[in-house]
Amino acid sequence: MANIAAKRVKREIKEVVKGGEGSLKLEVVSNSWTDLLGEITGPPDTPYEGGIFKLEIKIPETYPFTPPKVRFITKIWHPNVSSVTGAICLDILKDQWAAALTLRTVMLSIQALLAAAEPNDPQDAVVAKQYIENQQMFTLTARHWTNIYAEGPSGVWEFNQKVQLLLEMGVDEHKARVALSTYNWDVEDATEQLFS
Amino acid sequence: MGFEIKRFQGDVDEELICPICSGVLEDPLQAPTCEHAFCRGCITQWISRQPKCPVDRQAVTASQLIPVPRILRNLLSRLCTSCDNAPHGCSAVLKLDSLASHLVECEFNPKRPMPCETGCGLVIPKDELAEHNCVRELRALITSQQEKLTDYQQELAEQRLIINEHKRELALLKDFMRAMRVTNPTMRALADQMEREEVVRWANSLSRAKVTRWGGMISTPDDVLQVMMIKRSLSESGCPPHIIDDLMENCHERRWPPGLSSLETRQNNRRLYDKYVCKRVPGKQAVLVLHCDNTHVDEHMMIEPGLVMIFAHGIE
Repeated sequence: MANIAAKRVKREIKEVVKGGEGSLKLEVVSNSWTDLLGEITGPPDTPYEGGIFKLEIKIPETYPFTPPKVRFITKIWHPNVSSVTGAICLDILKDQWAAALTLRTVMLSIQALLAAAEPNDPQDAVVAKQYIENQQMFTLTARHWTNIYAEGPSGVWEFNQKVQLLLEMGVDEHKARVALSTYNWDVEDATEQLFS
Repeated sequence: MGFEIKRFQGDVDEELICPICSGVLEDPLQAPTCEHAFCRGCITQWISRQPKCPVDRQAVTASQLIPVPRILRNLLSRLCTSCDNAPHGCSAVLKLDSLASHLVECEFNPKRPMPCETGCGLVIPKDELAEHNCVRELRALITSQQEKLTDYQQELAEQRLIINEHKRELALLKDFMRAMRVTNPTMRALADQMEREEVVRWANSLSRAKVTRWGGMISTPDDVLQVMMIKRSLSESGCPPHIIDDLMENCHERRWPPGLSSLETRQNNRRLYDKYVCKRVPGKQAVLVLHCDNTHVDEHMMIEPGLVMIFAHGIE
């Protein structure tokens, strides 16, 4: 079985390279076909545009009869991705997996998910709530995260200021950003949550 | 699982690739409606997990899978591939449909069974021939056989012990039954039934005999020589002891029923002989005509518990 998996992975890495989509990258980690590192770029006209997102891809022994395990390594603000663990809520990675899908199609699906979030089937309830209630705030926050964690273009200057403010109060930078993002960048609310 | 694509000469059309294993289709099957084709091994394994087409997720069960069209099979069989044993030196290039027959005979198969020619005669995989040492192999063989022999001997001894115990127990039970039978009439009926069944069981265990020459019948056998030998053979074949003496008495015309008791009546009734269901007395030119096998025969031709007929020849 492992044999099929290894054969498929080899072929699929080639497929990604030959596929010619500059937006995808796939390579093995430490010469083992079970651990791969994927990279997708944020789709244009989304808050993720210009960002480069790293994916951890683990191939099970039973691949392609069972789906690969994929999560974001790069932190991302998205209703269907956990802002804590990077876990992705995507049907084809679960019960809708089909053996003919490949790592290339999986990465393209994840890219498509970035362009079309499903806030009604959330992985991260906080992000989804913001997405539904205050879409503009969500977009700014997601762009800010893309700038900070995914080498995206610079975002709202004011957000950096607010993080800096909390940083000076001795709060961990990432924690500060999470708290501010959660409370729609209201410094008071974020501070209260951090110090309660 | 399909064939490694690198083994094929030239480009292989994408249509001939299994979407599951990404190799060239091996023994392919297709889904009935969407007609997507897969290796038999790959698709069966997938369907056992999820009963739907791996490409478009249409519902499909294992029993609905059908062979791919002839044109696809032909295209596959025309592909040229290297032999499985290419890494071991086989340079053959084969059409895919002749690969299987080639593999059977391919002399580069590292596992091909070869007889050792230096004396021991053992048949061993080719790749082990170089390392092969007759004395060591034979010695290992002897050791393993010795172990088996010891095991068997031990088992035999154990079985013997068990059989003896069973025999003793059986004898005890029979004594017990005899005693009960004397004191209790229903017991007697039960015991009679058991004895009858024992006879039927024994009768069923014997093979059918065919008498080709009824003229070879010996109506007045020699008591000592013939009768004793027949008796021993019956006893060894498992004849129930309560009828063996009666049976042996019934091998002489003086005890035979009216229809057989003299040369004259025998000649008159000769045509009835073929009705007899005869059983072989193992290893002897003699047959048993048991009452329980011959309830269809006229009464004047039969007696309880049955007849023993000894012949000079003509038993098959």
